[in-house]
Amino acid sequence: MIKIESISVGYLNREVLKNVSCNIDKKDFFGIIGKNGTGKSTLLKVLCSLIKPHSGNVFINDENVNSFSKKKFARTISFMPQRIDTSLSFTVFEFVMFGRYPYMNIFKIPSRADYIAVEKVIDFLQIATFVKRNINELSDGEKQIALIAQVLVQETDIVVFDEPTSHLDIGSQNDILEILRDLNEKCNKTVILTLHDLNAAGEFCNKLVLMEDGSICKQGTAEEVLNYKDIERVYNTTVIVKTNPISNRPYIIPVSKTRKR
Amino acid sequence: MTNKKFLFVYILMPASVLVVFLFSLVIGLNDISFVDAVKALFGGADSNVTIIIKQIRFPRIIMACVSGAGLAVSGCVFQAVLRNPLADPLTLGISSGAAFGAAAAFVSGLATVTSFFIPFCTFAGMMISVLVVYLLSMQKRFDSNAMILSGVVVSYVFSSAVMLMFALSPANNVQVAFVWLMGNFSTFDERLLPFVTAIVLTGIIILSLAGNIINAVSLDREKSKTFGMDIEKIIKFLFLTASFVTAATVSTCGVIGFVGLMIPHTMRKIIGTNNVILIPASAFAGAVLLPLCDTLSRILFSPILIPVGIITSIIGGFFFICLLLKPKRE
Repeated sequence: MIKIESISVGYLNREVLKNVSCNIDKKDFFGIIGKNGTGKSTLLKVLCSLIKPHSGNVFINDENVNSFSKKKFARTISFMPQRIDTSLSFTVFEFVMFGRYPYMNIFKIPSRADYIAVEKVIDFLQIATFVKRNINELSDGEKQIALIAQVLVQETDIVVFDEPTSHLDIGSQNDILEILRDLNEKCNKTVILTLHDLNAAGEFCNKLVLMEDGSICKQGTAEEVLNYKDIERVYNTTVIVKTNPISNRPYIIPVSKTRKR
Repeated sequence: MTNKKFLFVYILMPASVLVVFLFSLVIGLNDISFVDAVKALFGGADSNVTIIIKQIRFPRIIMACVSGAGLAVSGCVFQAVLRNPLADPLTLGISSGAAFGAAAAFVSGLATVTSFFIPFCTFAGMMISVLVVYLLSMQKRFDSNAMILSGVVVSYVFSSAVMLMFALSPANNVQVAFVWLMGNFSTFDERLLPFVTAIVLTGIIILSLAGNIINAVSLDREKSKTFGMDIEKIIKFLFLTASFVTAATVSTCGVIGFVGLMIPHTMRKIIGTNNVILIPASAFAGAVLLPLCDTLSRILFSPILIPVGIITSIIGGFFFICLLLKPKRE
């Protein structure tokens, strides 16, 4: 469904992505992992046409994204950034409604269909209790859910999330990832996300790419990518990789250098 | 939009504009009763009262309302587009461009040739500064910080040019220019009123309709791009429309500071940051504030008329000091 072909990106004199290629299939729950500054977020932004690569192409359903109109692109792929500016006092409902912009007229005045779409997402995510509240009054977890709602009302087949669980406690992290899994399994959406938490990546993603220094060093299933040799090399640390007895998914335990001695 | 907000913006605020309008009409050097003022407007009063009301106060107050609305709306739009609460025609260098044009008209002596020369030169000066800011910002793809920095640079360059002109000109020319530049409603040519009103009202209607678009632009730029919007094109359009509205008012009435800062700040505190309602609310609030300030400027040192820009700057200064000293709510 998505074909990323020899993408290279650089800021000033530093090359951030070096000849990156990968394929993402329809209905994949696709995770991108790697150390800080290895180009994970840059890869997502290239995918969402927010950054133009120096070389290489992105194809969605065999069509080069450069040939998409802005509106068509916004109806194909939606993006949730790491953080939102919440200095503006929009209600959650107004904030979610922004996601309908690709479907609105020139003055972006919502139609009945837009209201129905927002109501549907509110029901799906069960957030009716806080839709009238101001976005800057929400907890971090609620803000993430409001952002997910905004992405959902965009009604795209591909949804892209940049570290959706950063700054969240373990309970909220699980809640968010369960919602994303529902999107993937119940709504048939292709979910692409970057994650720092390798255990969450192992538990939820059906495909992973491990990035190192602007390149993909390993890609495959969670079991294939999350092996101690690659993780220890890329993250420069010592780990133990085990299998979760309940989900049969790999999980990682870091080992303190002092204790190791 | 809740019903309360709707009532506040579309019923209470226009009513306030009407009250302030009538109040400004009867207050002044010559005391005129409310009934006489209304009679004069509809052609039933004696000739002296009719002249004062119809030919002096009425156009002046209309111009004050229109300018107040225009400056407040353009300030509101600049702040949303640049995602900076301190953005206004002054920080964007537009006012300095206007001052440069006006100063050139006065100092060269062309101002005395025809009354249209001052607005013409002011408008030209503003358009030059807008163009320079536009071209400089274009290099950085209309990044907010680049736009503000370009504005500050342009502002300094034009201010220095104005000072240079003043330093080289005879003192009486400088004084006249100075009073004009402080902004006032006593010297504008009445024939310009319909043009300025038409430009400002058209601008306000367009910008009010674009409230939802301005909301999206005031979000994170990357996020707004993912909604399929051509953000650069929208910013160009909004910047030019708001500049045009400012240019129309400033070229006829001079540089009136703080309206574009004070009004949007106050309205944001009252009704929030949603531009769909904030823009019309700012327009009405501007149309209340400026006629009030103008009335103050007429009666404070009567019979001497002081520039209204002095009043707005004093009020604006106090307003922001109060904001600064106000304890933060936990």
